[in-house]
Amino acid sequence: MGMAESGIEQIGVAEVVVGLVPASHDAQTLEAAISRIVEFTPPVKAVLIHPPYSANGAYPPYTGTQWRLVANPQLAQDPSSLAQSLGDSFRVIFDLTQRLGGRACAIIASDLSTVTSEWVPLLLQPIVEEQFDLVAPCYARHPFEGLINRAIVYPLIRALYGKRVRNPLGPDFGISSTLVERLATTPTRRVHPIASLATEAATSGLKICQSHLGPRIFPPMDWTNLSSLLAQVLGALFLDVERYAPHWQRARDSQPIPEFGHPTFVAGPEGAVDVTRLIESFQLGARNLPEVWGMILPPSTLVELRRLAKHDAAGFRMPDETWARIVYDFALGHRVRAINRDQMLRAITPIYLGWVASYALELDNMAPEAVEQRLEMLCVAFEHTKSYLVSRWRWPDRFNP
Amino acid sequence: MWDQVGQTLNESTVRILSRLAGLLPGMLALIVAVLFSALLAWLVASLLRRFLVGVHFDEQLERWGFSSIAEWSPQQSPAQLVTRVVSWSIVLLGFVLGLAAFDATLTSELAFHLFSYLPNVLAAIVVLLVGSMVARYLGRNVLIEAVNMNLQYARLLGLGVKWMVMVLTIAMALEHLHIGSGIVHLAFGILFGGIVFALSLAVGLGSKELVSRSLERESARGAVAETEQPFRHL
Repeated sequence: MGMAESGIEQIGVAEVVVGLVPASHDAQTLEAAISRIVEFTPPVKAVLIHPPYSANGAYPPYTGTQWRLVANPQLAQDPSSLAQSLGDSFRVIFDLTQRLGGRACAIIASDLSTVTSEWVPLLLQPIVEEQFDLVAPCYARHPFEGLINRAIVYPLIRALYGKRVRNPLGPDFGISSTLVERLATTPTRRVHPIASLATEAATSGLKICQSHLGPRIFPPMDWTNLSSLLAQVLGALFLDVERYAPHWQRARDSQPIPEFGHPTFVAGPEGAVDVTRLIESFQLGARNLPEVWGMILPPSTLVELRRLAKHDAAGFRMPDETWARIVYDFALGHRVRAINRDQMLRAITPIYLGWVASYALELDNMAPEAVEQRLEMLCVAFEHTKSYLVSRWRWPDRFNP
Repeated sequence: MWDQVGQTLNESTVRILSRLAGLLPGMLALIVAVLFSALLAWLVASLLRRFLVGVHFDEQLERWGFSSIAEWSPQQSPAQLVTRVVSWSIVLLGFVLGLAAFDATLTSELAFHLFSYLPNVLAAIVVLLVGSMVARYLGRNVLIEAVNMNLQYARLLGLGVKWMVMVLTIAMALEHLHIGSGIVHLAFGILFGGIVFALSLAVGLGSKELVSRSLERESARGAVAETEQPFRHL
């Protein structure tokens, strides 16, 4: 902390700030990523804040460039409490950006081995040169990666707030000082620095764009931790749904946002994907959790889920409208506290796995363009079903389909 | 002789009538006390009913997970149940106070015992309410987590936890009421131990194959999950 403080004092002011929040503090990976990032020469004074990785505190000097490097031990990801630790790290970078008087900051929280020298300009230039307030990331699109984003986050944010932000939860962002200031002045208990970024920008009328960053390594799947992950992500998301209710009830349809860089695709696995385990998880949930689901979902949806549980892989398809209504019902259940919030968010896991199975079966050997069309259909279903959420939100007691 | 009989009868009649006359003010006081308490009970009940309906007490109770209370409530309404309990308690209190008019010593002793027992009843009610809430919460939590961990015996685990907490709660409530504490201790020990033993048997012997299949499948899946499954959720 003392090292970071003295570094900041010496620098004084900087135009842009780049913060690294890696999952691993492996010295070699960090050093290699930093040397790739500083290959880009910014036209203005820039500060790169990274976690300490050298045991003796000695770092290679990057003299003769606009870059100034600061090691800060507060930047860290904790896998057991990912949302909380990432949020805390984001706040540290926001705070330093404000103290240095920066016009913009970029935060990189993905696996550093995929970070190239192009990431920083792609995240910062739209803000510095074109006065955007938020640059969201777009990664090379693989059909089976970022599934929580594909299934829930992107369609929900798009349908509610009317902006087609592909990865509203980043985790790599470019953020203007205006947006940093807005988030800094809001009480910490009300906004999550990551989950609320896109929604805060969209509801405040700030300019949003997205940059194609290329491939990203997604963390490996941890089956036992999935429900906890869903609870963390959806908890923050649903709190925003409650907070921004007056805004999204007025928003209609959705608009595309400007894009920078070139979209790339990653082909899915060749051959059929084994979804037996996913379907079994869904069926186990349908057998054991009808009482819990019954406190959140209306009877018609429960009947649909019970019917779906009788199918094997050959006929296992979850209609988009059903899935959209389920997500909306859980958002409403979260608001009215139908049951304990954490239990409720964890109870969605078997239904989510059912959706993943249905989605994987539909995408079997599909071309990347067709995969994008399939995702578009899901988003349109969320937009069409939004009136259902609005009705239930306004009259949660009276409206019972 | 007939005169003596007549005199004795007259004296007995006078004694009975004088005793009855002595009781009359007490009876009157008791009737007044009961009537007054009934009137008060009706007033409190109507106000309480209106308040509970206003705050959607029945719906709230269902939301908090006490839907089963409605099943044994009059007209399937827990608000009605609370109202009746409160109003009958007021009538009972009026009756006890009315009894004081007959024999101050006897009734004050009765009232003393009744009132000194009341905190135990209240404590038992609180223990039961809190215990059933905790039992439901823990039972549901275990059920959801077990389902998410793909355990085939998830329901059994959830029910086991729920009823273990319930048995503990009922034993604690009976202890507060001083009802057969020795028997309760013994019965609780036998029942609680029995549930644990039954669960161990169910998991260890009865569901041996089921559990071993489930565990084998889990361990096999854990090993292949990262290499074979193409899904990434974040």
